[in-house]
Amino acid sequence: MKKKTFLLPGLIILLISLVSQTSFAQEHVKQKELKYAQVKVYGMACPFCAYGLEKKLKAIDGVKKIDIDVENGIASLEFEKGKVADKKTIADAVKKAGFTPDSIIFMVELPEKETKP
Amino acid sequence: MRNKTIILKGFPAILLLITCLVASFAQGPPVFTDTPILLGLGGRGVRTFGKFISKKNANVYIQPLVLPFNITPKLLAGTILPFVSKSQNNGSTQSGLGDLAVFLKYVVQQKDYSGKTIRTLVKVTQRFPTGNSGKIPPLGTGTYQTAFGIVSGYITTKYGIYGELNYNFVSEGEPNQFLYNFAFSYPLLPQQYPPRQLNISVDLNGIYVPESSKNALFLAPGIQWILGRKVLLESGIQLPVMENVIETEKTKFMFLLGTRVLLF
Repeated sequence: MKKKTFLLPGLIILLISLVSQTSFAQEHVKQKELKYAQVKVYGMACPFCAYGLEKKLKAIDGVKKIDIDVENGIASLEFEKGKVADKKTIADAVKKAGFTPDSIIFMVELPEKETKP
Repeated sequence: MRNKTIILKGFPAILLLITCLVASFAQGPPVFTDTPILLGLGGRGVRTFGKFISKKNANVYIQPLVLPFNITPKLLAGTILPFVSKSQNNGSTQSGLGDLAVFLKYVVQQKDYSGKTIRTLVKVTQRFPTGNSGKIPPLGTGTYQTAFGIVSGYITTKYGIYGELNYNFVSEGEPNQFLYNFAFSYPLLPQQYPPRQLNISVDLNGIYVPESSKNALFLAPGIQWILGRKVLLESGIQLPVMENVIETEKTKFMFLLGTRVLLF
């Protein structure tokens, strides 16, 4: 009975440890595979002025391709492998283009509806 | 006196040219009124377009070279080098460099939302009498001019509303001017990037001379065709609605045909 009492917490700790490690490993893999970013841009009211935004975003190190959706105010960026820029760098580029950055999300793949740049 | 009259006659056209030139630094619409949006391109841009002005007793063609530079996202400096060709009905013609201008624009208010923006900027334009004003017809005004202005706009992906006020101080005892512009622009095609836009706009451009209480108001429909990231073609015509000026100073029409090419 005493053995069982010690065994149960041990098993629980082992299980938590395994789950935690698996989750960490998956997260690590995802981080490595992150290739795209989408930034919501406020103030982008005309396609002609979006050229400045494209120019500033392209200047970010590691950016491979850019797609700008003027209607929805979203800029999608594709990065070279292992060269994903951080949020601050992307936000600064948007500000330098004269717009206001909102949410920035990173992803492994772009959503189905989105066209890859 | 005659020379002075011709110089005075050229003021409205040249000032409207400045207005149009400054407008060329912004988004597509409108054609004749300034916009508070700065492109933030960081310089290395060259733009040019031509304007044909038909006056009662002369024709004027102006081809400016515009060099803008964004110092910060909210501050833009630039210079305008105009090539001017004037021919009077009596046959005399002059061509060459007109009055050089430099300008500064600073965004003082910016509220950005999804698909729309409300912005206001202040600007100052300094003109120098580099154009030869000693010959007839003169290529320059022979005066230093300093214009202070404010430009505001509510611009969405569906339409744009613009307003602009300028007060122009003129040297040599020439009368100062108050310039006012309003515009509405409307894109005919869905917004997409790279741009493929067809925009129409209608402007009201006015000049008021407080000293003499003279006023001139123009209605100016315009159209723009944006072919891609770097090329914009535009055309517009300014038609006088009211011209409370002497007969020889009156404008029959002003036609603009231009292209803006961003060299980056």
